[in-house]
Amino acid sequence: MDKSIFAAMPTLTPTLGFASMIGLGLFSLVLSYGVKTLLVRNTHDFIIADRRVGFGFGVGSVIAVWTWAMAVMMSSAMTYKWGLSGLFWFVVPNGFAVIAMIPFARVLRKNMPEGYTISEFIQYRFNKSKVATAIVTLTMIFGIILEILINLKGTSVVVSTVFGIDWKTATVVGIICVMAYSYFGGLWTSVMTGTLNTLMVTVPAAIVVAAVYDKIPGGTQAVYDAVGRAGAQNLSVLRPDAAAGFGITLAFGLLAATVSDQTFWQKVWAIKSRDVGRTFLWAGALFYPIPICLGMLGLVGIATGLTPSDIGGDIAAVGPYIVSHVGLPLTLVILYVLVILAACYSTIDGASSALSSIVAVDIVKRYFPSTAEGRLFAITKLSVLLGGIIATVIVLSGIDFTTLVLTTYALKTSILLPLVLAILWPKTNTVGFVGGVIAAIGIGMPIYETAGELPGTLSIVAIGGLTVVICGLIGSERFDVTKLRRVSDEIASPSVGAAE
Amino acid sequence: MYSLILILGLCAGALFLAGFAKGLRNAILEYRQGKPEPTDVPDYNYAGMAAISVIASAVVIALVGFGPGWIYAGPLLALCTAAGIGTAFFVERPSL
Repeated sequence: MDKSIFAAMPTLTPTLGFASMIGLGLFSLVLSYGVKTLLVRNTHDFIIADRRVGFGFGVGSVIAVWTWAMAVMMSSAMTYKWGLSGLFWFVVPNGFAVIAMIPFARVLRKNMPEGYTISEFIQYRFNKSKVATAIVTLTMIFGIILEILINLKGTSVVVSTVFGIDWKTATVVGIICVMAYSYFGGLWTSVMTGTLNTLMVTVPAAIVVAAVYDKIPGGTQAVYDAVGRAGAQNLSVLRPDAAAGFGITLAFGLLAATVSDQTFWQKVWAIKSRDVGRTFLWAGALFYPIPICLGMLGLVGIATGLTPSDIGGDIAAVGPYIVSHVGLPLTLVILYVLVILAACYSTIDGASSALSSIVAVDIVKRYFPSTAEGRLFAITKLSVLLGGIIATVIVLSGIDFTTLVLTTYALKTSILLPLVLAILWPKTNTVGFVGGVIAAIGIGMPIYETAGELPGTLSIVAIGGLTVVICGLIGSERFDVTKLRRVSDEIASPSVGAAE
Repeated sequence: MYSLILILGLCAGALFLAGFAKGLRNAILEYRQGKPEPTDVPDYNYAGMAAISVIASAVVIALVGFGPGWIYAGPLLALCTAAGIGTAFFVERPSL
């Protein structure tokens, strides 16, 4: 078996690519307009769906926002690079990161039932400390911009790889498609289109992967044997270099990516309180098969001896390359493209919705509390577009957004333990929280730069946590979490008849 | 195997869409009724099920290294995800 089984498909024209992107966007736009008409009257409905998201939509939408372009393409890429160990370290912490939200989600939903954002929690937890809330708000915003950016990049990578569309054009068309439907309906739109997109990343993904193996001469046996011949370690999940190379760092990063992400906290307060716990359990458990399924494409890359230069230099393109070059019927190739587009669109949409909640609650209502509902609603809706515009400008500029990635990573990882302790440990105080974040970045990031990812990540997490614990043990404060029940609904539904 | 996955996929998709339709209907009816949602957060021990799902994911991946047939575990389980989400809509208790 070798890469001679691959050949470009001349029928994959740019027109088909545009049709896929725009078609998915139009379908979502129709659904979104219906949602707006039936379920959204005001800012409260727009940013928190009136706290009526049920179990089914909760599970579907949490999976949707967590199934990034990364889960879809990087699962194949990590398998291609490290064999089954790569898939193991990519997948196992991924689902766990969603499940790990449960204890924190239950504490806050029970004790702060009228909340909207994690920054709002920090505001009341630390006696309206401007520094603490600014740190968390900034981290959330950076995280959201990065989410949009990465998935926008994912959209342009797959569309340009498969259809030969210029990546800049693909970026602009992609963001317009998502923003057009995100603008209407807010969180309800995000939840429903996201849930439908979860159907796309499961059933079509399974069919396409099965079709790829059906197409390869010798099928799974031939691939399995060739992967083993390429290196016995490819079939083992116990490669220590995979763990040290990216696995452990990724595990902490993923945990930070959920616990320190407003996209998930928005869901915590939007899902019906009786369903919060089991939603995150089911979502985490049901997420697992998606990257496991798509990761199997990485084994094909190993078996056929594909090199990064064969696939354009970026190993993230291994899945799209295999599907578009192995000789599948056009329908299945388009289906795979829709799988990736669905993953990207739903994450961008979810992140944009989360951004609107931050703008409404943490910026407008916090600094301009007398803003009337009509104006607040208009600003909130427009803010959905903001993240997309910023991310698009960054992507189109061509600048290396490694700095943004590192900054966001530093912020999210550094607030991970302080945030966890703020939720769970009554003795966490403001000095410890702020000091922990600053110390984690100030000391941990230089270690990250000089000693490498693994020692750096462990240092950031440890320094952040230790600082909080030491300050908490020294201090005498003890926070009563039930006080949060007095936090009123800052964006309560206005009375019937209030103007939009 | 491809044919089996295709057929099972259509079944899982049908269950998903049936559930989605039910969920959409419930969401609209609840919204129109405007009945206040309860705020209780039930006590429930999730640790066991959480551990089982994390370990199961690791085991499935490891099993791929022991036999080529396990390569199809991923696609089959992905269909279970679709069916699981559809089931979630039928399991939920609407506030009507």
